[in-house]
Amino acid sequence: MKENTKRKLFPYLLILPSALFLLVFTMYPCIYLVRLSFYEYNLLKPPKWIGWKNYVDLFTRNVDFVVALKNTAIYTAAIVTILILFGLILAVCLQRESRINSFVQRAMFIPHIVGMLSVAMIFQWMFNEKGLFNAVLAIFRLPGLKWLNSSDTALICIIIVAVWKSIGYYALILLSSLKAIPAEINEAALLDDAGPVNRFFHIFMPMLSPQIFFLLVTITINSFKVFESVRQMTKGGPGNSTNVLVYYIYNYAFNYNKYGYAAAAGVVLLLIMIVMTILYFKAMGKRVHYQ
Amino acid sequence: MGEIVFKNIGKSFGDVKVIENLNLTIRDGEFTVLVGASGCGKTTLLRMIAGIGSATSGELFIDGEEISDVPPGKRGIAMVFQNYAIYPTMTVRGNIEYGLKNARVPKAERDRLIREVAETVGLTPYLTRKPSELSGGQRQRVALARAMVKKPKIFLLDEPLSNLDAKLRVAMRTELIELHHRLKTTFVYVTHDQTEAMSMADTIILMESGEIRQQGSPEEIYENPDNVFTARFIGAPPMNVYRMRGRQEFVGYRPESILLSREETRMLYQREARILTREMLGSEIHYKLVLKQDGEEPITIMGKSSQKQFEVDETVYVNVDREHLYFFDGQENRIRDEAGLKECCAMIQGGL
Amino acid sequence: MSNPNMIRKAGQMTGRAAGIALKLFLALIFIFPFYWMISTSFKTYAESEQFPPSLYPHTWTLEGYQTVFEGLELGMYLRNSLIVIVAIIILQMAVSVPAAYAYAVYEFKGAGILFAMVLVAFMIPSQVTFIATYIMFSKMKLLKTFWPQILPFGANAFGIFMMRQHFKQIPAELIESARLDQAGEFNIMIHIMLPTAKSTVVTTCLLSFISHWNAYFWPLVMTNSEEVRPLTIAISKLKDLDLGVVWPTIMAGNALLVVPMLLLFLAASRKIIQSMAYRGMK
Repeated sequence: MKENTKRKLFPYLLILPSALFLLVFTMYPCIYLVRLSFYEYNLLKPPKWIGWKNYVDLFTRNVDFVVALKNTAIYTAAIVTILILFGLILAVCLQRESRINSFVQRAMFIPHIVGMLSVAMIFQWMFNEKGLFNAVLAIFRLPGLKWLNSSDTALICIIIVAVWKSIGYYALILLSSLKAIPAEINEAALLDDAGPVNRFFHIFMPMLSPQIFFLLVTITINSFKVFESVRQMTKGGPGNSTNVLVYYIYNYAFNYNKYGYAAAAGVVLLLIMIVMTILYFKAMGKRVHYQ
Repeated sequence: MGEIVFKNIGKSFGDVKVIENLNLTIRDGEFTVLVGASGCGKTTLLRMIAGIGSATSGELFIDGEEISDVPPGKRGIAMVFQNYAIYPTMTVRGNIEYGLKNARVPKAERDRLIREVAETVGLTPYLTRKPSELSGGQRQRVALARAMVKKPKIFLLDEPLSNLDAKLRVAMRTELIELHHRLKTTFVYVTHDQTEAMSMADTIILMESGEIRQQGSPEEIYENPDNVFTARFIGAPPMNVYRMRGRQEFVGYRPESILLSREETRMLYQREARILTREMLGSEIHYKLVLKQDGEEPITIMGKSSQKQFEVDETVYVNVDREHLYFFDGQENRIRDEAGLKECCAMIQGGL
Repeated sequence: MSNPNMIRKAGQMTGRAAGIALKLFLALIFIFPFYWMISTSFKTYAESEQFPPSLYPHTWTLEGYQTVFEGLELGMYLRNSLIVIVAIIILQMAVSVPAAYAYAVYEFKGAGILFAMVLVAFMIPSQVTFIATYIMFSKMKLLKTFWPQILPFGANAFGIFMMRQHFKQIPAELIESARLDQAGEFNIMIHIMLPTAKSTVVTTCLLSFISHWNAYFWPLVMTNSEEVRPLTIAISKLKDLDLGVVWPTIMAGNALLVVPMLLLFLAASRKIIQSMAYRGMK
């Protein structure tokens, strides 16, 4: 009898540490964040309850939050579109097994395992007014650009960096789903006299669409987390042109010491993440593959 | 029409030559079965006809026209794949319709053709279903319907029955034969199963390591094997073939040609043997026997007989008539000339 | 060989050559920035300020690296990075392996809900939790210690997920036969099941190593003292050294950060790609 209870308790014992860690470092901070968003707090004085004021300020008083939200949305929309479109094209082009293709795949993947900090600094150097990109433009007798120093192009630069860093990764994921489609399906379509474009849109795209939807959600989630490149390359500027959600939260918390207000912005991010997570699991369910 | 001619065909994958200098004619309107063990090149040939794995060298003709440069979709062929290769995202109807759409068949005509073919293969109630909602047998029918609806001059079938359970497989076998009778087009069917080949083919093409070992009707292949390979491949159980003691030549006889006896007989081939196992299969009995030969490696043979009186471990005589004996030379080719046969018969009588 | 055949072959060849050239250019796009980093790191300050820039250093110098070594206490930062990474990996293994094992092998009440919690945790990024976590550690006066960099990563949700997948594949008969041999449950986990997961464990550790070596956001937020800051933070401050922006120095610092990752990738690219792509698919 005693042996039996011991055996029954054993699995709970095994998961206890992980559950504690998740509770303390994931669940609790989320709850605490929501609570904090209704207070005014600067770490020095005790928190003061102010109701919905932080949220009202976010959306009505300080226009910069809406700007940050808008920038994040533009960034996300661009990244999602570019990564999926070019990821697909790359996947199709690199599909065949060959030495050159496997070399290109490896090369494309390298940026993914290098830290964003270094990538941002290298690109910052290349975006410099005396940097590589302007030198390339000069070869074609084009005038140099201000890149990160112009509010017209800074966000585009942030997007370029993000695309460069992760396109190889997503292309490879799409490639492996493409390869999971049996060769006979393609051959059957060939015998049905379907041209390459027809095959791509009528056979492969529908078969890939669950995976694509899944990536759409994943990339969106990752894009909303953008911070390191902005912090390193532009600090949100020039003006507010590259201020994004997470940088905004960070800035208000650590530079202005307005933790309650930052928490309210954090709750907005949390809500976006929750919506995305629900979509994510829906996508996962749909991805049950055809035989 | 649908005659296929392979001329000096070669195929290599990288450095590995799979087929070399192969010549073959598949006759129009026949049910031709390519049979052989896996890796013998039969599927490679089929894929060449389809145009989805072209030859490395040589020429391929359909109805006298060289088709190496004709894309798969324009060859007037249809193929049924081993795993069916049904488009998973399309409905049954979509699957059947896709080829027609690509061939720009008008909508009304398409509808008529689909209705027709669905009726023939019994898919009418399932036209709006997705493949994932179908059973294995039904998917097989979708693959078949998709091929039939194009009214091809050549049907290619790559082990289409191997994913079905045994009962369904036998049923589909008859259906395919009937289908061929009705359509009277060229069928090229690939299988590793000699029973399937024997039961369905007008012509069997037996292949081994990229070469054709024998081509002929099931009767010819069964009764008149050209070589040891054919003899040992066809028949269930296959022919008993073994090297005569101390000689290069082989002797062979089918399990169903032997007569077992307790007393000596006057037949040409007579050996003492011990019964190892006895399998009762209803109408007949399979005996596994080991020949009594001193000094040499024991030779086991199979016997198939309706004689039920023999028991395991009993010593009996295995008798075979002169006319049921086959002889093969050192190169494993059949000996057919009078002198050679006479010599071999003498050897048999001498107890080799 | 007939004539049209040869023309076709020739056409195919040029097409293929163009394809290969295009692909090489594509690969170059991803490799060149790293070359540019290394190349700049060996340039003199004067050369780095030239426009148009030189493709490779005309005068090779180690000045950049010297400044990095002199300007930063590299040894200390490297030590900090390694302390944090090793501690995280040990903690993650101690916490995740038993959890993964329990979710894979046992049926117990609440397993579904608890595992769903793991998956949800997988989805909530540190960018959401950092303010609350910061305040928590700040109240506990731990911001000058290594703990804020280590503890929050104790439960590696993805590691739990991946190892659970592994343990699920192992036939239950293995455990049952061990039970018949009178082995205790803990004993079975450690001595029978864990050895089968070697490769998964190594992969999980490898991914943890890469991600925490590169970590920048979390240590930036969670540390209050140079004594505990990792290499990334130090390198990020190279721009703020007294000398102004000196690109050879900055690139030299980043080379120190990047080259170990590049070497790791060269050594195990297949494994890294496989496991990371897998991570993206699940």
